[in-house]
Amino acid sequence: MMIAKQKFVTINKWAVFAAIFLYLIGIFSPLKYLQPGLLFVFFAGFLSLFHKDYLAPKPRTAGMLWLLPVWITIFTATTPLTTGNGNPLLFLLSLLCGLIPCILLLTGSSEEKMPKRPRLKIVVVRTIVQSSIFVIWASLTSYCFIKGTRPDMLFWAAFHVSTVAIFPVFFGRAICGWICPNATMQDALYKNMTFKRPIENLPRAIEAQSSTACMNISGKVDARAPLFPATLLLSWFPMFFAETIWDLTGVAWYPIVFMYGLIVLSLVFKWRKMCTHFCWLSSYRGIGCHNSLWRIRYNRSQCKQCKVCAAEKACPFYIDIRNQDNEMPATCCLCFSCMEACPFEGVITYTRNPVEKARLKLEAKTGIIEPKPEATKAA
Amino acid sequence: MAEIAEERYITPLAKWSRVLEIFIPGYMFGKAWGIANEHTVDLYRAIFPGFLIDMAEGMKGWLIQTDSAPLERLFSTCSGALVGFLVILVLGAFMHFALGDRKYIDSLRFTSITLIPLAVMNGTLSHVTNTLFETLGGGETIETLTKSAVDSPTNQIRMFCVFYMLAIWMLGKRTGVVGKRRWFVLLVGIGFLAAYFYLGLGITPQEAAEVLPKMMAAHGQH
Repeated sequence: MMIAKQKFVTINKWAVFAAIFLYLIGIFSPLKYLQPGLLFVFFAGFLSLFHKDYLAPKPRTAGMLWLLPVWITIFTATTPLTTGNGNPLLFLLSLLCGLIPCILLLTGSSEEKMPKRPRLKIVVVRTIVQSSIFVIWASLTSYCFIKGTRPDMLFWAAFHVSTVAIFPVFFGRAICGWICPNATMQDALYKNMTFKRPIENLPRAIEAQSSTACMNISGKVDARAPLFPATLLLSWFPMFFAETIWDLTGVAWYPIVFMYGLIVLSLVFKWRKMCTHFCWLSSYRGIGCHNSLWRIRYNRSQCKQCKVCAAEKACPFYIDIRNQDNEMPATCCLCFSCMEACPFEGVITYTRNPVEKARLKLEAKTGIIEPKPEATKAA
Repeated sequence: MAEIAEERYITPLAKWSRVLEIFIPGYMFGKAWGIANEHTVDLYRAIFPGFLIDMAEGMKGWLIQTDSAPLERLFSTCSGALVGFLVILVLGAFMHFALGDRKYIDSLRFTSITLIPLAVMNGTLSHVTNTLFETLGGGETIETLTKSAVDSPTNQIRMFCVFYMLAIWMLGKRTGVVGKRRWFVLLVGIGFLAAYFYLGLGITPQEAAEVLPKMMAAHGQH
């Protein structure tokens, strides 16, 4: 069977959707049944979607990846994560969830051509980390939910606080690009689900305020500038209020419903709008990532102004990297998509070009700023 | 330059954002002190500074008394939040003096935003305490609960210090607090943490010995 790129995406996408559906049925119905193979359907599906350009021309390789959920489903047939005696129907459906894409891809062939530029190693590592973390997160939360134990709240609180207070100093907002399960879901599905989102943009006043909040603009800000978007503050308060009043923190279903609620909302809003307008972790990291140790460098002198890096879907946060000079873009989640999108060598790099370094040093010394090659819209 | 910078962020919603930035972190920071119930209040007095818990408990008396558990939690939360605002108002005054370059409202925003990591830690401490107490009998005992509280202060203190100092440093850097002023702001932060710990954040073995029998009696009635 011929598998064109679009068909490859469709197979993976629907397998992931089916896995999400079965996961939710298993967890939230009285069955309380989870087949571990389903978690690996997420892994195989997300990884294939992240690497669709590279795996679509080689469907058999992707088919081999899909063997992982199939084998895990078979090996855990007698020991699924459940409170009862298991459920043959859900087991069969879980097996089919991995088996159908596996057979389709293993028996398929493609006439697609590999992209000319090889995939950046860092992007490969990122996507593997993202998919793995999603599986770990889904396993942990579902285990706690099925077994009725509460997640270790102190650990999660320390994790949350350390990722907002310590990580940004060293890794900027890498957590948003590498770890966050909500972001993983958005990345995998937004790029491959091309339907028009019901809410492309929030009202203009909200967009204007969010885009000028400290968390979203680079460099030093005026002392009077708002730090967070109003939407975040307004949504934050009722959420924490409800959590306290109805005493939801220790309830096992709260974190899982909260996270899946975020994921569903991510399908309603445009790519990463949730992160920009509603995520307090993302906001706090946006404030702290100024001058982080690990960051991307834009070397203006090498840039040919082709604007590929500023194109739709090149950056999850729609940053025009050409506006940056020596500052870390506040919303950059270090996904390195712009670095991969750039067709030229040495424009977006890990370390600064010596010519650029000299220019910045001179500018700092003399105070005379060299004009940019082309005026672009404000970051 | 100042006018140009101002144009970048003065939007119709900006003023709301600026106000909410004081109230919401303030609420988060203080609510933990208010949500002790009759069974856990002694433990709360031992874990958190006792006078803050007493203030919150006193405010609860002002607010409407109800039999509804969610409403009771609502008023408890509000009373804690009010104490939180008071702390922010006082700390904000010191910060305002140290920052020296902005209006009092902006110093308050600075103060409340930097307290968010501590607010999360406070909230977690209180929620963990409440949840553990509610689930006692399911493998947990009063002794293990109190022992875990006694064993944790060193880590707790370390975490509070690192998170708060980093928050001050990072926000100071972003909002242009430079030179000596940044060190002054850090000093205010250190002073606040020292006062917070001196006034009783973290349970001591002596406090644990006093609280333990009361907790056991409370749990017996629970």
